[in-house]
Amino acid sequence: MPAKEEILGRLKSATKRQNIDRPAKPTLSEITLNRQQMIRRLESELSMRAGVLYQARDKEDALRILLDIITAEGLKSFVASSEKIHGVDIASFGSQKGLSVTIPKDLANRDSLRDAAFAADAGITSADFAVAETGTIGIIFNHNHPRLLSIAPPLHIAIMSVKDLYPVYENVMEIVFKNTKEIPSQFSFITGPSATSDIQGTEFKGMHGPKKVFVIMIMDG
Amino acid sequence: MKVSLFIPCTVDIMMPEIGIAAHTLLSNLGTQTIYHKEQTCCGQPLFNAGYRDQAKQVAKHFIEVFGEDECIVSPAGSCVCMVKYHYPELLEDEPAWHKRACGLADRVYELSQYIVDVLKTTDVGAKYEGKITYHESCHILRGLNISDQPKKLIAGVEGVQFVELENSTTCCGFGGEFAIGYPEISEALVRDKAANFIKSGADVLLLCEPGCLLNISGYLHRNHPQKTARHLASFLAENLKKV
Amino acid sequence: MHSHINKFMETARKELKNEQSQMFLMMVALGAPILRQIGMSSFPDITAAESYSRAIRADAIARLPELLEEFEKNAESKGAKVLWAKDAAEANKIILDIANCGGVSYVMKGKSMITEEIGLNDHLIKNGVEVFETDLGEVITQNLNLHPFHLVGPAINVPPGEISEVFLKKGIIKKASTDPVELGSGARRYLRDKFRNLQMGIVGVNMAVAETGTIINVENEGNIRLIKSSPKTLVAIMSLEKVVPTIKDAIYMTRMLTRNCTGQKITSYMTMDTGPKKPEEQDGPEELFIIILDNGRSEIYRDFKTREILKCIRCGACLNTCPVYTKIGGYPYGATYCGPVGQVLTPMLAGIESTADLYRACTLCGMCKQICPAGIDHPSLLLSYRARQIDIKNQKGKKTMQSRRENAMAGLISLGMSHGWLWNFGLKITRPLMNSLAKDGYIASIPMGAQGWFGCRDLRAIPAKTFHETWNDLPSLPESSGNTSKKEDS
Repeated sequence: MPAKEEILGRLKSATKRQNIDRPAKPTLSEITLNRQQMIRRLESELSMRAGVLYQARDKEDALRILLDIITAEGLKSFVASSEKIHGVDIASFGSQKGLSVTIPKDLANRDSLRDAAFAADAGITSADFAVAETGTIGIIFNHNHPRLLSIAPPLHIAIMSVKDLYPVYENVMEIVFKNTKEIPSQFSFITGPSATSDIQGTEFKGMHGPKKVFVIMIMDG
Repeated sequence: MKVSLFIPCTVDIMMPEIGIAAHTLLSNLGTQTIYHKEQTCCGQPLFNAGYRDQAKQVAKHFIEVFGEDECIVSPAGSCVCMVKYHYPELLEDEPAWHKRACGLADRVYELSQYIVDVLKTTDVGAKYEGKITYHESCHILRGLNISDQPKKLIAGVEGVQFVELENSTTCCGFGGEFAIGYPEISEALVRDKAANFIKSGADVLLLCEPGCLLNISGYLHRNHPQKTARHLASFLAENLKKV
Repeated sequence: MHSHINKFMETARKELKNEQSQMFLMMVALGAPILRQIGMSSFPDITAAESYSRAIRADAIARLPELLEEFEKNAESKGAKVLWAKDAAEANKIILDIANCGGVSYVMKGKSMITEEIGLNDHLIKNGVEVFETDLGEVITQNLNLHPFHLVGPAINVPPGEISEVFLKKGIIKKASTDPVELGSGARRYLRDKFRNLQMGIVGVNMAVAETGTIINVENEGNIRLIKSSPKTLVAIMSLEKVVPTIKDAIYMTRMLTRNCTGQKITSYMTMDTGPKKPEEQDGPEELFIIILDNGRSEIYRDFKTREILKCIRCGACLNTCPVYTKIGGYPYGATYCGPVGQVLTPMLAGIESTADLYRACTLCGMCKQICPAGIDHPSLLLSYRARQIDIKNQKGKKTMQSRRENAMAGLISLGMSHGWLWNFGLKITRPLMNSLAKDGYIASIPMGAQGWFGCRDLRAIPAKTFHETWNDLPSLPESSGNTSKKEDS
């Protein structure tokens, strides 16, 4: 008998399977946060994980902040999820400042994408959501936004809009998984840099993923 | 009020003074105590070892002995757990016995629980000038949810100063057959318990479980003979104010 | 893989004397519950949160076969290839076949206990496919050939010096170092090109969502994200109990998992894959194989008593609060799973007869049951295994002299416990025998056994009279109080 039939057959033949009545789902205190509170919470949670949140007035301010980060971190080469991220023109910015910005659309195949992502100093990507509960950003990965850009480079800069900030995960789940036909092939919640404490319980950042994460949240629009 | 004394085997054989103390305390509080001489043991050692058929035999004997009692009180948490939770489990496949076991389960109390929750008393008339600390035995705390009651009885002792025991809710390493079958691990646990007792600066360590007492006092006698552990009942009875 | 369960106490004794292990176990025992409590305190009502997560797991297990079918249907509708494997051999064959099909020379793996359980690495290596573990703890245990010390941090106790030595030997670092950051960075550099050129990756699954056909992984390091993004072929292997009904259930369980595991409110990454990449996408797997593995669990499910073991979410909280585990560490358990979860699971996978220490080395303190976010009653399970062991010993054909003796002893004891007169009589005989060994009122040793007690403890001599014998001498309350304080049973 094929494995599936055998296994399911054994499971279904089990007796005394009870109907479980669930208690009411407990409320989460975060759902009552207003926008200001959400921003404060996002910032404090993210900074506890050594991530940094910047609030940009508009897309021009976001560019300024981006330049500050690039200068401070000495970054020269980037992969960016698209030419414009939330209205911020990364491609032009890059060429103006003489920085190497690679857009996936310009890459022929998977291997050149991999090469670019692993070679870049930083990945600049959009973030589709943020969750105040834990200082988390959420990214839908699809043909507009490859997966490797935010995990392979040693630094990740995420640009998002404040209107995509929500109190708890469930708010985001309701959007991303609403329509079964449109569920993304991959969706990730990202909270701060990569970390490990596997040796002697000593924590350090940047094990396999980025060592630093910057979130630029655009406040207008 | 009438109470039927359920005296565990460890108390009957090794530490009868705990049973006598329980009787004294209950009597002083106006309770009429009954003692069924046919009682022996709840069967927990057999059950824990895996001898369920034999444990069932003992359970049936227990139910026969105590079956008619309105109220059964014992100075041992693990034994109360055995009757309350494991008797119904053991007798699941014998409906008549199962029914009796379930009925019995509601009528069994641990001593401090009975004095505080039923007799509504926290001052049994004891006096002790000194520092006391308390070890929260596993079956008492996690099995029966009893924690406030012993502490209230301790607080009710005139002159006593309560000090916290570090890691008071950590197992002392008795575990019945565990102490004999896994001695090195048991020793590591009871050693920690003794160290925390000494660290607390208390004069006496109190607890409500005869098994823990055998373990801890046995270790103390061998390694720290000047330190004392006592069952709460014995301690209270020993320190009753002379009327 | 259950290699040395029969060396439980031998290994435990070594660990009890190992200063390094003891230091870490103390750190775990003190620190982990505090971290957990801090994490849990973000819930307005911790008890309600625990009840809810226990209900989710109870529900998932109650409806297990239906949820697995729903999961398969939804995963396949998104292009995943769902394969079922009865046992370790089948799962290993499936994975090797996929590797051979793709002509890969190496695979990279995320931390996956199920792959350890089935011995996947050895199988692949034996058949010419190199395996690179990528989770730092696993990189260390793989290279040092160690069992896990802890469910979550398998190499947390290993001295940096030992790690440095083996890393140097394997070319993972070029210069010796005892700095955890340098060692970790060395591992990152060593694995970087391998990630970039990866053709086939293997991950476990924290949760499989029936409602959507999604597989979820939580991690801090980012190796799983890389494995799920870089190669063309991705294999996700899950034991069949990992399924949860809905995506919201999965989110809730993740909150509980991370808090109970490390005290974190969330891990750095929580990645949800639903099918392979879509055709127009530039990275991600072209083929996603999801292997649903049984390996003894459908039998565990059929047994109503053991079914609840499948609720486990592998958080490791039971380890951190176990008085036994926090004294001996993971090595004595001799298998993939250590601590209380190992004690309830391994006997069902490896057999009751060869795992006695696992279910007897427990004080039944109940800390595991109290803390378990999945609602497993470990002590009750262990007690049932002890009973099964006795039953097996009494089966025809399995009776040995020893089991006959033990049974006779138990019978004698239960006889004594069922008859008051016999009880008292037995006492009258035993008491003088025991007390003949007492000095100054205490017994320090007895020749007939129970040496385990007397190794570090004394036993007070048996008092001259039992409670039974004393009862008649006890004072009555004065008649005027309205009661007689004691009444004899006729």
